[in-house]
Amino acid sequence: MLETDVLIIGGGPAGMCAAIEAAKLGVKTTVVEDKDRLGGQLVKQTHQFFGSEKHHAGVRGIDIGVKLAGECSDLKVNALTNTTCTGIFDDGSVGCLRGEEFFLIHPKRIVIATGAYENMLPFPDCDLPGVYGAGGLQTLMNVDGVLPGKTYLMVGAGNIGLIVSYQLMQAGAEVVAIVEALDRVGGYEVHAAKVKRMGVPIFLRHTVTHVSGDGKVERATISKIDGSFKPVPGSEFTVSVDAVCLAVGLSPLIELIAQAGCETRYIPECAGHVAVHDSNMRTSLEHIFVAGDASGIEEASAAMVEGRIAGLHAALDVTHGKADSNELLREFDSQLDELRTGPFGQKARQGKSKLWGLKLPPDEEFEEAPPIIPESGKKPVIECPQNIPCNPCAVSCPTESITIGDNITNFPVLDQGTCNGCGNCVAACPGLAVFLVNRDYSDREAEITIPWELTPPPEKGDKGYALDRTGVAICPATVTKIRRVKKIDKKRLLVAFTVPLDKADEARHFVIVEPKGAEKIETLPPADDIIICRCEDVTQKEILDCFNSGYKSFDEIKRYLRTGMGPCQGKTCQRLILGILARELKTHVSELAPQTVRTPMKPTELEIYASSKEIEPWDFENWQPPGGGH
Amino acid sequence: MRIEKHPILDFARGKKVKFTFDGREITGHEGETITAALVAAGVLTLSKSIKLERPRGFFCGIGRCSSCYMVVNGVSNVRACVTPLEKGMDVNTQVGRGEIASC
Repeated sequence: MLETDVLIIGGGPAGMCAAIEAAKLGVKTTVVEDKDRLGGQLVKQTHQFFGSEKHHAGVRGIDIGVKLAGECSDLKVNALTNTTCTGIFDDGSVGCLRGEEFFLIHPKRIVIATGAYENMLPFPDCDLPGVYGAGGLQTLMNVDGVLPGKTYLMVGAGNIGLIVSYQLMQAGAEVVAIVEALDRVGGYEVHAAKVKRMGVPIFLRHTVTHVSGDGKVERATISKIDGSFKPVPGSEFTVSVDAVCLAVGLSPLIELIAQAGCETRYIPECAGHVAVHDSNMRTSLEHIFVAGDASGIEEASAAMVEGRIAGLHAALDVTHGKADSNELLREFDSQLDELRTGPFGQKARQGKSKLWGLKLPPDEEFEEAPPIIPESGKKPVIECPQNIPCNPCAVSCPTESITIGDNITNFPVLDQGTCNGCGNCVAACPGLAVFLVNRDYSDREAEITIPWELTPPPEKGDKGYALDRTGVAICPATVTKIRRVKKIDKKRLLVAFTVPLDKADEARHFVIVEPKGAEKIETLPPADDIIICRCEDVTQKEILDCFNSGYKSFDEIKRYLRTGMGPCQGKTCQRLILGILARELKTHVSELAPQTVRTPMKPTELEIYASSKEIEPWDFENWQPPGGGH
Repeated sequence: MRIEKHPILDFARGKKVKFTFDGREITGHEGETITAALVAAGVLTLSKSIKLERPRGFFCGIGRCSSCYMVVNGVSNVRACVTPLEKGMDVNTQVGRGEIASC
């Protein structure tokens, strides 16, 4: 049996940070990660993070992942990759599966940082090749460098939908439209602005009703929806696409938490059932902690701080509080408070307040800020309308002309008098929301400098069109300069182009060829049933028939139809079936019991258990990082 | 299709290797996932579902969803989206539950 002081399950941002803090306290720390490397979702995040320097602001997710994995390695954390935790047993041991090898780890404390899984949206033919989860597509596109088609419809205008849309365009694909069921964009406005100015329409209160095609997605039908999310008859239209990408939310992955016996509760603000945990991230079981998305869906910045808190407390348990970490813990708490201020932290504040039995904070009203538009000279225009926790514009300014103040969610303020128009803020803004406008370029022309992260970049002298904030070509434009600010970001270009002076406040993107909108094509009738459980091929009709025959809970339906017994163990269908049950029983999902979770977490041949053996114990003292780097 | 130029990422691809898909020779890069190599070659259907034999393609990309269960070198239920490609692999569309290997 492999012994360790602290075992962390999941090597994403929360898990790596938990490992770092635990290992810093000198306790034996092991991370179990089912992918081939540490990093979790960070390995495919090409965008720069918001926040402050403490939260790696301005650094791309991929680089944060490499940095944290490096720290784990330097601190001699035992990282068991390609290893899946299959169960947490009553004697405190943890079952692990690596290839065909099964072994037990005996930790003193466990931190569960298993992250989240993507929600599925059910519609006729939703299982056709060409319907992808945003996360899966992001892996294929940003890790493997492969695209499964040229044209895409994005479903969901939360941060993931907006970011992946932009990343699709960075990879050379075309995003025909984004549809969003709510009446507002859920993600940051700066992320929406990036895709809108490139000509991608965002249809609010619209959804995809069905797809069709011969063995793969060829067309997607979009419909307006009413206040109760029902399609409005006659409003549907169809576009030709190669793929539909679903970014309709994440649910905390709590299989191990539930199987281990930690108390769970449905907290809507945390996006589903989560482990009941205190502000030290300890669950109802003394030896188990939780961190990151598994404890409630939030941004990765918050997951990392939660991981640090959980890892530190787990390690303090092992050392019996011998280290004085109070100051560090206060620092982590204040970082979390900082990240959870402002309009986008509201949900997390409310979710955690419910868990911690605190009085719910009142709903705050946040007003959007108008852009700061200097009237003359060469100055930045900061189009950052929401209180997002972020400050790289201020940090990058060599003349300290941009200030944020003590509260990181404050709007940036520009002192036009001291600003020298250097453009560092254009290079630094993670939201690509700062533009340099030079109204003194010539008598008739203004020069606009925009952040550029697309391929191919234009060249000096290129003639094309300026697009406005909605992606409409408004005037001819000529590229005057291309540069980089390498000390801020090695990849981002600053592209300057001229436009007629009266277009200075409208022109926000440059193209050589005018974009054309998507053509509407003939709508084909939808298939008459919907696959709900992909693994076992179970349809909506079968589930309703089953319900009408008297099977009223998830576990009952599971025993009858095998939904949730396939390889995914209910990750796709559970939420959908609970939704169907809630609708039929006229109740809310929070009132329904989720499935009973048992080991193993993934289908495992019995032969593997039968041949389980001891693995080499980890030599924590004499370990050297592998020569090939991280 | 493969992304050849990317503004942020450089893709470190393994050396080119040949493998077969349903008897057809395809070139991929050693070490990339089998699905990446297939999708890059324009193959979208990886399996036919267990009861209704509906076409299924790449979906979760993390070895969880069962859509990419394929028959690789005669072994059924191989998770193609997390299995690295090797030279000369014999990859086939899996129809239904697949064969259980005899012990």
